[in-house]
Amino acid sequence: MVAGVRPDLEQVFRSAYPRVVAVAARVLGSRYEAEDVAQEVFLTFGRSSVPAAEAAGWLSVAAAHTALNHLRTGRRRASREAISGTAEVAPDIADAVVTLEERRRVRAALATLPRKQAVALVLRHSGLSYAEVAAALDLSPGSVGTTVRRAESALRKELNRHAPSD
Amino acid sequence: MRHPTDGTLRRLLDEPAGVAAADRAHVADCRTCLSALAAAREDALLVGTALQTSASSASSASFASSDVDAGWSRLSDALAEEAGAKVLPVRAQSNGVLPLRAQSVGVLPIRAQSKGRAERWRAALRSPVIAVVGVAAIVTGASAAAAGDWFPIFRAERVAPITVDPADLGKLPELDAYGDVRFIEPADVRKVPNAAAARAATGLTAPRVGELPRGVVGEPGFLVVNQVSAQFTFDARKAAAAAGGTAHPAPPAGLDGSEFRMTAGPGLAQVWNEARGVPALVVARVVAPKAYSTGVPFETARDYLLSLPGLPSSVAKQLRAFTGDGTTLPMIVNSDEEATASTDVHGVPATLLTDRGNALNGVVWIEDGVINAVGGSIGADEVLSVARGLR
Repeated sequence: MVAGVRPDLEQVFRSAYPRVVAVAARVLGSRYEAEDVAQEVFLTFGRSSVPAAEAAGWLSVAAAHTALNHLRTGRRRASREAISGTAEVAPDIADAVVTLEERRRVRAALATLPRKQAVALVLRHSGLSYAEVAAALDLSPGSVGTTVRRAESALRKELNRHAPSD
Repeated sequence: MRHPTDGTLRRLLDEPAGVAAADRAHVADCRTCLSALAAAREDALLVGTALQTSASSASSASFASSDVDAGWSRLSDALAEEAGAKVLPVRAQSNGVLPLRAQSVGVLPIRAQSKGRAERWRAALRSPVIAVVGVAAIVTGASAAAAGDWFPIFRAERVAPITVDPADLGKLPELDAYGDVRFIEPADVRKVPNAAAARAATGLTAPRVGELPRGVVGEPGFLVVNQVSAQFTFDARKAAAAAGGTAHPAPPAGLDGSEFRMTAGPGLAQVWNEARGVPALVVARVVAPKAYSTGVPFETARDYLLSLPGLPSSVAKQLRAFTGDGTTLPMIVNSDEEATASTDVHGVPATLLTDRGNALNGVVWIEDGVINAVGGSIGADEVLSVARGLR
Protein backbone atom coordinates (compact mmCIF):
# COMPACT_ATOMS: atom_id res chain seq x y z
CA MET A 1 0.00 0.00 0.00
CA VAL A 2 1.18 3.51 -0.80
CA ALA A 3 2.56 5.47 2.13
CA GLY A 4 0.08 7.74 3.88
CA VAL A 5 -2.94 5.71 2.83
CA ARG A 6 -5.04 4.08 5.52
CA PRO A 7 -4.42 0.33 5.77
CA ASP A 8 -8.09 -0.67 5.73
CA LEU A 9 -8.77 1.12 2.43
CA GLU A 10 -9.01 -1.98 0.25
CA GLN A 11 -11.31 -3.76 2.66
CA VAL A 12 -13.60 -0.74 2.95
CA PHE A 13 -13.46 -0.17 -0.79
CA ARG A 14 -14.53 -3.71 -1.63
CA SER A 15 -17.48 -3.62 0.72
CA ALA A 16 -18.66 -0.06 0.05
CA TYR A 17 -17.81 0.63 -3.60
CA PRO A 18 -21.09 -0.64 -5.13
CA ARG A 19 -23.16 1.47 -2.76
CA VAL A 20 -21.02 4.57 -3.29
CA VAL A 21 -21.42 4.25 -7.06
CA ALA A 22 -25.16 3.62 -6.68
CA VAL A 23 -25.61 6.74 -4.53
CA ALA A 24 -23.73 8.91 -7.02
CA ALA A 25 -25.59 7.37 -9.95
CA ARG A 26 -28.94 8.32 -8.41
CA VAL A 27 -27.80 11.91 -8.60
CA LEU A 28 -25.99 11.83 -11.91
CA GLY A 29 -27.91 9.28 -13.96
CA SER A 30 -24.71 7.84 -15.31
CA ARG A 31 -22.81 4.88 -14.00
CA TYR A 32 -19.58 6.00 -15.55
CA GLU A 33 -19.69 9.44 -14.06
CA ALA A 34 -20.74 7.87 -10.78
CA GLU A 35 -17.62 5.71 -10.94
CA ASP A 36 -15.56 8.89 -11.37
CA VAL A 37 -17.23 10.32 -8.29
CA ALA A 38 -16.54 7.13 -6.36
CA GLN A 39 -12.87 7.40 -7.24
CA GLU A 40 -12.75 10.97 -5.93
CA VAL A 41 -14.53 9.95 -2.74
CA PHE A 42 -12.25 6.99 -2.04
CA LEU A 43 -9.14 9.03 -2.82
CA THR A 44 -10.20 11.46 -0.12
CA PHE A 45 -11.26 8.70 2.22
CA GLY A 46 -7.94 6.90 1.74
CA ARG A 47 -6.10 9.90 3.14
CA SER A 48 -8.57 10.49 5.95
CA SER A 49 -8.79 9.27 9.51
CA VAL A 50 -12.53 8.67 9.46
CA PRO A 51 -13.19 5.88 12.01
CA ALA A 52 -13.83 2.55 10.30
CA ALA A 53 -17.16 2.21 12.04
CA GLU A 54 -18.35 5.44 10.44
CA ALA A 55 -16.90 4.74 7.03
CA ALA A 56 -20.07 3.51 5.31
CA GLY A 57 -22.12 6.55 6.29
CA TRP A 58 -19.28 8.95 5.58
CA LEU A 59 -18.73 7.49 2.13
CA SER A 60 -22.43 7.63 1.22
CA VAL A 61 -22.72 11.26 2.28
CA ALA A 62 -19.50 12.14 0.48
CA ALA A 63 -20.76 10.41 -2.66
CA ALA A 64 -24.02 12.36 -2.57
CA HIS A 65 -22.28 15.68 -1.93
CA THR A 66 -19.63 15.13 -4.56
CA ALA A 67 -22.20 14.06 -7.13
CA LEU A 68 -24.36 17.10 -6.33
CA ASN A 69 -21.27 19.26 -6.68
CA HIS A 70 -20.74 17.77 -10.11
CA LEU A 71 -24.29 18.77 -11.00
CA ARG A 72 -23.92 22.28 -9.72
CA THR A 73 -20.48 23.06 -10.98
CA GLY A 74 -21.62 21.70 -14.28
CA ARG A 75 -18.69 19.58 -15.21
CA ARG A 76 -18.67 18.48 -18.76
CA ARG A 77 -20.71 15.39 -18.33
CA ALA A 78 -21.40 15.02 -21.98
CA SER A 79 -17.78 15.11 -22.88
CA ARG A 80 -16.75 12.81 -20.09
CA GLU A 81 -19.35 10.29 -21.05
CA ALA A 82 -18.34 10.55 -24.63
CA ILE A 83 -14.83 9.73 -23.56
CA SER A 84 -15.81 6.87 -21.36
CA GLY A 85 -18.39 5.34 -23.62
CA THR A 86 -21.38 3.69 -22.11
CA ALA A 87 -22.80 0.25 -21.93
CA GLU A 88 -26.29 1.24 -20.99
CA VAL A 89 -28.77 -0.67 -23.05
CA ALA A 90 -31.29 1.25 -25.07
CA PRO A 91 -33.20 -0.77 -27.58
CA ASP A 92 -34.15 2.19 -29.69
CA ILE A 93 -32.45 5.50 -30.32
CA ALA A 94 -35.65 7.44 -29.77
CA ASP A 95 -36.12 5.78 -26.42
CA ALA A 96 -32.52 6.52 -25.63
CA VAL A 97 -32.98 10.20 -26.36
CA VAL A 98 -36.17 10.37 -24.35
CA THR A 99 -34.48 8.57 -21.45
CA LEU A 100 -31.61 11.03 -21.58
CA GLU A 101 -34.10 13.85 -21.45
CA GLU A 102 -35.82 12.31 -18.43
CA ARG A 103 -32.51 11.93 -16.67
CA ARG A 104 -31.66 15.53 -17.45
CA ARG A 105 -34.94 16.62 -15.88
CA VAL A 106 -34.30 14.59 -12.75
CA ARG A 107 -30.80 16.01 -12.41
CA ALA A 108 -32.03 19.56 -12.96
CA ALA A 109 -34.78 19.09 -10.37
CA LEU A 110 -32.37 17.60 -7.83
CA ALA A 111 -30.07 20.57 -8.28
CA THR A 112 -32.85 22.92 -7.17
CA LEU A 113 -33.30 21.25 -3.77
CA PRO A 114 -31.65 22.54 -0.61
CA ARG A 115 -28.49 20.51 -0.16
CA LYS A 116 -29.50 18.70 3.02
CA GLN A 117 -32.83 17.68 1.51
CA ALA A 118 -31.16 16.42 -1.64
CA VAL A 119 -28.61 14.36 0.27
CA ALA A 120 -31.22 12.88 2.63
CA LEU A 121 -33.44 12.01 -0.31
CA VAL A 122 -30.69 10.32 -2.27
CA LEU A 123 -29.43 8.37 0.73
CA ARG A 124 -32.89 7.18 1.70
CA HIS A 125 -33.67 6.09 -1.85
CA SER A 126 -30.30 4.36 -1.99
CA GLY A 127 -31.47 2.07 0.78
CA LEU A 128 -30.01 3.66 3.91
CA SER A 129 -32.25 3.31 6.96
CA TYR A 130 -33.60 6.32 8.82
CA ALA A 131 -31.08 5.69 11.57
CA GLU A 132 -28.24 5.56 9.04
CA VAL A 133 -29.37 8.74 7.30
CA ALA A 134 -29.80 10.43 10.68
CA ALA A 135 -26.32 9.44 11.80
CA ALA A 136 -24.74 10.41 8.51
CA LEU A 137 -26.36 13.84 8.42
CA ASP A 138 -26.40 14.52 12.14
CA LEU A 139 -30.19 14.64 12.22
CA SER A 140 -32.67 13.04 14.59
CA PRO A 141 -34.42 10.01 13.05
CA GLY A 142 -37.69 11.94 13.39
CA SER A 143 -36.48 14.80 11.28
CA VAL A 144 -35.20 12.46 8.55
CA GLY A 145 -38.81 11.73 7.64
CA THR A 146 -39.64 15.42 7.55
CA THR A 147 -36.59 16.23 5.42
CA VAL A 148 -37.23 13.38 2.98
CA ARG A 149 -40.93 14.24 2.74
CA ARG A 150 -40.19 17.88 1.93
CA ALA A 151 -37.62 16.86 -0.63
CA GLU A 152 -40.02 14.43 -2.33
CA SER A 153 -42.78 16.99 -2.44
CA ALA A 154 -40.48 19.64 -3.90
CA LEU A 155 -38.98 17.22 -6.41
CA ARG A 156 -42.38 16.01 -7.54
CA LYS A 157 -43.49 19.61 -8.12
CA GLU A 158 -40.31 20.38 -10.00
CA LEU A 159 -40.63 17.28 -12.17
CA ASN A 160 -44.27 18.00 -12.91
CA ARG A 161 -43.46 21.60 -13.76
CA HIS A 162 -41.09 20.44 -16.49
CA ALA A 163 -42.97 17.34 -17.54
CA PRO A 164 -42.92 16.55 -21.26
CA SER A 165 -46.03 17.60 -23.09
CA ASP A 166 -46.88 14.22 -24.56
CA MET B 1 -54.85 13.70 19.72
CA ARG B 2 -52.78 15.91 17.49
CA HIS B 3 -52.06 14.55 14.00
CA PRO B 4 -48.60 13.04 13.55
CA THR B 5 -46.20 15.17 11.49
CA ASP B 6 -45.61 14.68 7.78
CA GLY B 7 -42.21 13.29 8.68
CA THR B 8 -43.78 10.64 10.88
CA LEU B 9 -46.20 9.71 8.14
CA ARG B 10 -43.31 9.43 5.72
CA ARG B 11 -41.46 7.10 8.04
CA LEU B 12 -44.59 5.02 8.43
CA LEU B 13 -44.22 4.12 4.75
CA ASP B 14 -40.67 2.87 5.12
CA GLU B 15 -40.18 1.84 8.70
CA PRO B 16 -43.52 1.45 10.49
CA ALA B 17 -41.76 -0.15 13.43
CA GLY B 18 -39.91 3.12 13.96
CA VAL B 19 -43.19 5.01 14.50
CA ALA B 20 -44.78 5.10 17.94
CA ALA B 21 -47.71 2.72 18.39
CA ALA B 22 -49.99 5.59 19.38
CA ASP B 23 -49.22 7.40 16.12
CA ARG B 24 -49.83 4.26 14.08
CA ALA B 25 -53.16 3.73 15.81
CA HIS B 26 -54.16 7.34 15.21
CA VAL B 27 -53.36 7.21 11.52
CA ALA B 28 -55.32 4.02 11.04
CA ASP B 29 -58.49 5.76 12.19
CA CYS B 30 -57.92 9.29 10.86
CA ARG B 31 -59.15 10.20 7.40
CA THR B 32 -56.98 13.31 7.30
CA CYS B 33 -53.86 11.33 8.11
CA LEU B 34 -54.75 8.52 5.72
CA SER B 35 -55.17 11.07 2.97
CA ALA B 36 -51.81 12.67 3.81
CA LEU B 37 -50.26 9.21 3.94
CA ALA B 38 -51.58 8.41 0.48
CA ALA B 39 -50.11 11.65 -0.87
CA ALA B 40 -46.78 10.88 0.74
CA ARG B 41 -46.83 7.38 -0.75
CA GLU B 42 -47.57 8.77 -4.19
CA ASP B 43 -44.71 11.28 -4.01
CA ALA B 44 -42.33 8.66 -2.66
CA LEU B 45 -43.19 6.30 -5.49
CA LEU B 46 -42.83 8.94 -8.15
CA VAL B 47 -39.50 10.18 -6.84
CA GLY B 48 -38.26 6.65 -6.26
CA THR B 49 -39.09 5.78 -9.84
CA ALA B 50 -37.43 8.92 -11.18
CA LEU B 51 -34.25 8.31 -9.23
CA GLN B 52 -34.28 4.65 -10.13
CA THR B 53 -34.67 5.47 -13.81
CA SER B 54 -31.83 7.88 -13.46
CA ALA B 55 -29.62 5.22 -11.92
CA SER B 56 -30.96 2.18 -13.67
CA SER B 57 -27.59 0.96 -14.78
CA ALA B 58 -25.86 1.36 -11.47
CA SER B 59 -27.82 -0.43 -8.81
CA SER B 60 -25.69 -2.27 -6.29
CA ALA B 61 -27.20 -5.50 -7.50
CA SER B 62 -25.83 -4.99 -10.99
CA PHE B 63 -22.24 -4.94 -9.73
CA ALA B 64 -20.03 -7.85 -10.57
CA SER B 65 -16.92 -8.59 -8.58
CA SER B 66 -14.93 -7.68 -11.69
CA ASP B 67 -16.41 -4.16 -11.50
CA VAL B 68 -15.11 -3.82 -7.98
CA ASP B 69 -11.75 -5.22 -9.04
CA ALA B 70 -11.56 -2.70 -11.88
CA GLY B 71 -12.48 0.13 -9.54
CA TRP B 72 -9.88 -0.93 -7.03
CA SER B 73 -7.23 -1.24 -9.72
CA ARG B 74 -7.98 2.26 -10.90
CA LEU B 75 -7.89 3.66 -7.39
CA SER B 76 -4.59 1.93 -6.69
CA ASP B 77 -3.09 3.47 -9.81
CA ALA B 78 -4.39 6.88 -8.83
CA LEU B 79 -3.00 6.62 -5.32
CA ALA B 80 0.35 5.50 -6.67
CA GLU B 81 0.49 8.40 -9.07
CA GLU B 82 -0.68 10.85 -6.46
CA ALA B 83 2.06 9.67 -4.14
CA GLY B 84 4.64 10.25 -6.82
CA ALA B 85 5.29 6.58 -7.15
CA LYS B 86 6.43 5.14 -10.40
CA VAL B 87 4.01 6.18 -13.10
CA LEU B 88 2.66 3.19 -14.87
CA PRO B 89 2.75 3.28 -18.63
CA VAL B 90 -0.60 3.89 -20.23
CA ARG B 91 -1.97 0.50 -21.00
CA ALA B 92 -5.23 -1.15 -21.73
CA GLN B 93 -6.32 -3.15 -18.75
CA SER B 94 -8.47 -6.19 -18.97
CA ASN B 95 -11.53 -4.06 -18.36
CA GLY B 96 -10.61 -1.65 -21.10
CA VAL B 97 -9.80 1.23 -18.81
CA LEU B 98 -6.82 3.40 -19.57
CA PRO B 99 -5.50 5.62 -16.81
CA LEU B 100 -4.86 9.14 -17.99
CA ARG B 101 -3.71 11.99 -15.83
CA ALA B 102 -6.19 14.78 -15.89
CA GLN B 103 -7.44 17.36 -13.46
CA SER B 104 -6.03 18.05 -10.06
CA VAL B 105 -8.19 15.45 -8.41
CA GLY B 106 -6.26 12.59 -9.80
CA VAL B 107 -7.01 10.33 -12.62
CA LEU B 108 -9.68 10.44 -15.22
CA PRO B 109 -10.58 7.16 -16.82
CA ILE B 110 -10.52 6.82 -20.52
CA ARG B 111 -12.16 3.68 -21.68
CA ALA B 112 -10.45 2.01 -24.52
CA GLN B 113 -12.60 2.42 -27.55
CA SER B 114 -12.84 -1.20 -28.51
CA LYS B 115 -16.58 -1.11 -28.30
CA GLY B 116 -19.10 -2.01 -30.89
CA ARG B 117 -21.16 0.30 -32.98
CA ALA B 118 -24.12 0.21 -30.66
CA GLU B 119 -22.07 1.37 -27.74
CA ARG B 120 -20.38 4.07 -29.79
CA TRP B 121 -23.77 5.35 -30.79
CA ARG B 122 -24.90 5.51 -27.25
CA ALA B 123 -21.71 7.31 -26.29
CA ALA B 124 -22.23 9.69 -29.16
CA LEU B 125 -25.68 10.48 -27.92
CA ARG B 126 -24.07 12.18 -24.99
CA SER B 127 -21.48 14.01 -26.97
CA PRO B 128 -21.65 17.59 -28.15
CA VAL B 129 -20.66 16.20 -31.48
CA ILE B 130 -24.06 14.64 -31.75
CA ALA B 131 -25.38 18.15 -31.99
CA VAL B 132 -24.31 17.81 -35.46
CA VAL B 133 -24.07 14.17 -36.19
CA GLY B 134 -27.37 13.08 -34.87
CA VAL B 135 -30.16 14.12 -32.69
CA ALA B 136 -29.09 14.25 -29.13
CA ALA B 137 -27.70 17.63 -28.82
CA ILE B 138 -30.24 19.06 -31.05
CA VAL B 139 -32.35 17.94 -28.44
CA THR B 140 -30.65 17.67 -25.17
CA GLY B 141 -30.48 21.23 -24.15
CA ALA B 142 -28.00 22.16 -21.51
CA SER B 143 -25.11 19.84 -21.83
CA ALA B 144 -25.03 19.77 -25.53
CA ALA B 145 -25.84 23.39 -26.02
CA ALA B 146 -23.04 24.29 -23.68
CA ALA B 147 -20.62 23.37 -26.39
CA GLY B 148 -21.94 26.21 -28.38
CA ASP B 149 -23.63 28.42 -25.86
CA TRP B 150 -21.20 31.05 -25.03
CA PHE B 151 -19.10 30.84 -28.07
CA PRO B 152 -20.04 32.96 -31.03
CA ILE B 153 -23.12 31.19 -32.16
CA PHE B 154 -25.35 33.93 -32.93
CA ARG B 155 -27.16 33.56 -36.14
CA ALA B 156 -24.96 30.63 -36.97
CA GLU B 157 -24.21 30.38 -40.65
CA ARG B 158 -21.38 27.90 -40.71
CA VAL B 159 -19.84 25.17 -38.64
CA ALA B 160 -16.22 25.05 -37.59
CA PRO B 161 -14.67 22.16 -35.72
CA ILE B 162 -12.66 22.78 -32.59
CA THR B 163 -10.26 19.99 -31.87
CA VAL B 164 -9.97 19.22 -28.20
CA ASP B 165 -7.53 16.85 -26.62
CA PRO B 166 -9.39 14.25 -24.54
CA ALA B 167 -7.47 15.36 -21.48
CA ASP B 168 -8.91 18.84 -21.94
CA LEU B 169 -12.50 17.79 -22.52
CA GLY B 170 -13.15 17.46 -18.83
CA LYS B 171 -11.73 20.92 -18.23
CA LEU B 172 -14.08 22.80 -20.51
CA PRO B 173 -16.10 25.07 -18.28
CA GLU B 174 -19.87 25.23 -18.40
CA LEU B 175 -21.57 28.50 -19.05
CA ASP B 176 -22.93 28.62 -15.52
CA ALA B 177 -19.40 28.99 -14.21
CA TYR B 178 -19.62 32.58 -15.43
CA GLY B 179 -23.11 33.57 -14.48
CA ASP B 180 -26.62 32.31 -14.08
CA VAL B 181 -28.30 30.21 -16.74
CA ARG B 182 -32.07 29.91 -16.71
CA PHE B 183 -33.94 27.80 -19.17
CA ILE B 184 -36.97 29.63 -20.44
CA GLU B 185 -38.06 26.86 -22.78
CA PRO B 186 -36.50 23.51 -21.79
CA ALA B 187 -36.05 20.85 -24.43
CA ASP B 188 -39.01 18.58 -24.91
CA VAL B 189 -38.19 15.64 -27.16
CA ARG B 190 -41.08 13.67 -28.56
CA LYS B 191 -41.66 10.88 -30.98
CA VAL B 192 -44.18 11.69 -33.66
CA PRO B 193 -45.77 9.23 -36.06
CA ASN B 194 -44.73 10.62 -39.42
CA ALA B 195 -43.21 13.43 -41.49
CA ALA B 196 -46.44 15.41 -41.57
CA ALA B 197 -46.65 15.41 -37.79
CA ALA B 198 -42.99 16.41 -37.58
CA ARG B 199 -43.67 19.30 -39.92
CA ALA B 200 -46.71 20.36 -37.97
CA ALA B 201 -44.72 20.33 -34.74
CA THR B 202 -41.64 22.15 -35.99
CA GLY B 203 -42.51 24.03 -39.15
CA LEU B 204 -39.60 22.22 -40.80
CA THR B 205 -39.90 19.85 -43.70
CA ALA B 206 -38.28 16.47 -43.21
CA PRO B 207 -35.96 15.99 -46.17
CA ARG B 208 -36.59 12.95 -48.32
CA VAL B 209 -33.69 10.59 -48.70
CA GLY B 210 -33.10 9.80 -52.37
CA GLU B 211 -31.49 6.42 -51.96
CA LEU B 212 -30.85 4.61 -48.72
CA PRO B 213 -27.36 3.20 -48.23
CA ARG B 214 -26.97 -0.51 -48.56
CA GLY B 215 -28.13 -2.28 -45.43
CA VAL B 216 -30.43 0.54 -44.30
CA VAL B 217 -34.01 -0.50 -44.83
CA GLY B 218 -37.53 0.23 -43.70
CA GLU B 219 -39.34 3.34 -42.65
CA PRO B 220 -37.76 5.90 -40.33
CA GLY B 221 -39.01 6.94 -36.93
CA PHE B 222 -39.49 10.65 -36.31
CA LEU B 223 -38.38 12.76 -33.37
CA VAL B 224 -39.10 16.42 -32.83
CA VAL B 225 -37.89 18.98 -30.34
CA ASN B 226 -39.33 22.36 -29.54
CA GLN B 227 -37.41 25.63 -29.61
CA VAL B 228 -35.12 25.67 -26.62
CA SER B 229 -34.27 29.00 -25.08
CA ALA B 230 -32.19 30.08 -22.15
CA GLN B 231 -31.16 33.31 -20.56
CA PHE B 232 -27.65 33.90 -19.31
CA THR B 233 -26.83 36.65 -16.84
CA PHE B 234 -23.16 37.42 -16.54
CA ASP B 235 -21.88 37.44 -12.97
CA ALA B 236 -18.42 38.91 -12.45
CA ARG B 237 -18.05 37.23 -9.06
CA LYS B 238 -18.67 33.79 -10.54
CA ALA B 239 -16.28 34.52 -13.39
CA ALA B 240 -13.63 35.54 -10.86
CA ALA B 241 -14.24 32.34 -8.93
CA ALA B 242 -13.94 30.34 -12.15
CA ALA B 243 -10.55 31.94 -12.65
CA GLY B 244 -9.55 30.03 -9.56
CA GLY B 245 -7.87 32.88 -7.75
CA THR B 246 -5.34 33.44 -10.49
CA ALA B 247 -4.73 36.88 -11.90
CA HIS B 248 -7.37 37.90 -14.38
CA PRO B 249 -8.49 41.13 -16.00
CA ALA B 250 -11.41 43.14 -14.64
CA PRO B 251 -14.60 42.77 -16.69
CA PRO B 252 -15.35 45.50 -19.21
CA ALA B 253 -17.76 48.21 -18.11
CA GLY B 254 -21.37 47.12 -18.28
CA LEU B 255 -20.68 43.41 -18.54
CA ASP B 256 -21.49 42.43 -14.97
CA GLY B 257 -25.21 41.70 -14.78
CA SER B 258 -25.72 41.95 -18.52
CA GLU B 259 -28.12 39.45 -20.07
CA PHE B 260 -27.96 37.27 -23.13
CA ARG B 261 -30.76 35.19 -24.50
CA MET B 262 -30.05 32.14 -26.61
CA THR B 263 -32.36 30.07 -28.71
CA ALA B 264 -32.03 26.90 -30.77
CA GLY B 265 -34.58 24.75 -32.51
CA PRO B 266 -37.18 23.60 -33.22
CA GLY B 267 -35.77 20.54 -34.89
CA LEU B 268 -36.63 17.14 -36.25
CA ALA B 269 -34.82 13.90 -36.94
CA GLN B 270 -35.55 10.83 -38.99
CA VAL B 271 -34.01 7.69 -37.60
CA TRP B 272 -33.55 4.36 -39.34
CA ASN B 273 -32.73 1.58 -36.92
CA GLU B 274 -30.91 -1.61 -37.59
CA ALA B 275 -32.47 -4.86 -36.51
CA ARG B 276 -30.78 -4.58 -33.13
CA GLY B 277 -32.24 -1.15 -32.61
CA VAL B 278 -28.99 0.62 -33.32
CA PRO B 279 -29.50 3.67 -35.49
CA ALA B 280 -28.11 2.99 -38.90
CA LEU B 281 -28.89 6.42 -40.27
CA VAL B 282 -30.06 9.73 -38.84
CA VAL B 283 -31.11 12.72 -40.92
CA ALA B 284 -31.74 15.81 -38.83
CA ARG B 285 -32.61 19.46 -39.29
CA VAL B 286 -32.72 22.05 -36.55
CA VAL B 287 -33.07 25.80 -36.60
CA ALA B 288 -29.57 27.08 -35.86
CA PRO B 289 -28.78 28.79 -32.57
CA LYS B 290 -29.11 32.51 -32.22
CA ALA B 291 -28.17 34.78 -29.37
CA TYR B 292 -29.43 38.15 -28.29
CA SER B 293 -27.92 40.64 -25.91
CA THR B 294 -29.60 43.27 -23.78
CA GLY B 295 -26.94 45.78 -24.67
CA VAL B 296 -23.42 44.54 -24.30
CA PRO B 297 -22.12 43.24 -27.60
CA PHE B 298 -21.63 39.52 -27.42
CA GLU B 299 -18.09 39.93 -28.66
CA THR B 300 -17.31 41.89 -25.50
CA ALA B 301 -18.39 38.99 -23.32
CA ARG B 302 -16.73 36.43 -25.54
CA ASP B 303 -13.40 38.25 -25.61
CA TYR B 304 -13.46 38.68 -21.87
CA LEU B 305 -14.28 35.03 -21.25
CA LEU B 306 -11.50 33.98 -23.59
CA SER B 307 -9.09 36.14 -21.60
CA LEU B 308 -9.88 34.31 -18.36
CA PRO B 309 -7.84 31.37 -17.18
CA GLY B 310 -9.73 28.10 -17.03
CA LEU B 311 -10.33 27.43 -20.68
CA PRO B 312 -7.69 25.12 -22.13
CA SER B 313 -5.31 27.30 -24.11
CA SER B 314 -5.56 25.17 -27.23
CA VAL B 315 -9.34 25.65 -27.22
CA ALA B 316 -9.15 29.39 -26.55
CA LYS B 317 -6.67 29.77 -29.39
CA GLN B 318 -8.98 28.08 -31.86
CA LEU B 319 -11.93 30.14 -30.72
CA ARG B 320 -10.00 33.36 -31.09
CA ALA B 321 -9.20 32.38 -34.65
CA PHE B 322 -12.88 32.57 -35.53
CA THR B 323 -14.04 35.65 -37.28
CA GLY B 324 -15.74 38.08 -35.00
CA ASP B 325 -18.98 38.36 -36.89
CA GLY B 326 -20.81 35.88 -34.71
CA THR B 327 -21.85 33.50 -37.41
CA THR B 328 -19.70 30.46 -36.70
CA LEU B 329 -21.01 27.52 -34.72
CA PRO B 330 -18.16 25.74 -32.98
CA MET B 331 -18.30 21.99 -32.89
CA ILE B 332 -16.30 20.20 -30.24
CA VAL B 333 -14.30 17.33 -31.69
CA ASN B 334 -12.44 14.80 -29.62
CA SER B 335 -9.05 14.66 -31.29
CA ASP B 336 -8.51 11.05 -30.27
CA GLU B 337 -11.71 9.75 -31.72
CA GLU B 338 -12.86 11.94 -34.53
CA ALA B 339 -11.30 13.63 -37.50
CA THR B 340 -12.85 16.40 -39.57
CA ALA B 341 -12.55 17.43 -43.16
CA SER B 342 -14.02 20.24 -45.23
CA THR B 343 -16.42 19.28 -47.95
CA ASP B 344 -19.59 20.63 -49.50
CA VAL B 345 -23.20 19.68 -49.99
CA HIS B 346 -24.60 21.20 -53.17
CA GLY B 347 -21.99 23.92 -52.98
CA VAL B 348 -22.65 24.78 -49.34
CA PRO B 349 -19.53 24.38 -47.16
CA ALA B 350 -19.89 21.38 -44.88
CA THR B 351 -17.86 19.59 -42.26
CA LEU B 352 -17.35 15.86 -42.52
CA LEU B 353 -16.79 14.06 -39.24
CA THR B 354 -15.16 10.70 -39.44
CA ASP B 355 -14.83 8.36 -36.55
CA ARG B 356 -11.36 6.89 -36.20
CA GLY B 357 -12.90 3.50 -35.58
CA ASN B 358 -15.12 4.00 -38.61
CA ALA B 359 -18.14 3.19 -36.45
CA LEU B 360 -19.87 6.52 -36.87
CA ASN B 361 -19.61 9.15 -39.56
CA GLY B 362 -21.50 12.33 -40.20
CA VAL B 363 -21.69 15.51 -42.21
CA VAL B 364 -23.01 18.88 -41.06
CA TRP B 365 -23.84 22.04 -42.86
CA ILE B 366 -25.88 25.16 -42.28
CA GLU B 367 -28.17 26.48 -44.94
CA ASP B 368 -30.69 29.28 -44.61
CA GLY B 369 -30.37 29.33 -40.86
CA VAL B 370 -31.00 25.62 -40.45
CA ILE B 371 -28.41 23.09 -39.31
CA ASN B 372 -28.55 19.94 -41.41
CA ALA B 373 -26.92 16.73 -40.31
CA VAL B 374 -26.64 13.27 -41.74
CA GLY B 375 -24.91 10.62 -39.70
CA GLY B 376 -24.88 6.94 -39.20
CA SER B 377 -23.17 3.64 -38.77
CA ILE B 378 -22.22 3.83 -42.42
CA GLY B 379 -19.18 4.87 -44.38
CA ALA B 380 -18.16 8.49 -44.87
CA ASP B 381 -18.80 8.19 -48.59
CA GLU B 382 -22.30 6.87 -47.93
CA VAL B 383 -23.00 9.72 -45.51
CA LEU B 384 -22.00 12.22 -48.18
CA SER B 385 -24.03 10.41 -50.77
CA VAL B 386 -27.16 10.57 -48.61
CA ALA B 387 -26.57 14.25 -47.81
CA ARG B 388 -26.13 15.18 -51.45
CA GLY B 389 -29.17 13.15 -52.43
CA LEU B 390 -31.61 14.80 -50.02
CA ARG B 391 -34.64 16.36 -51.60
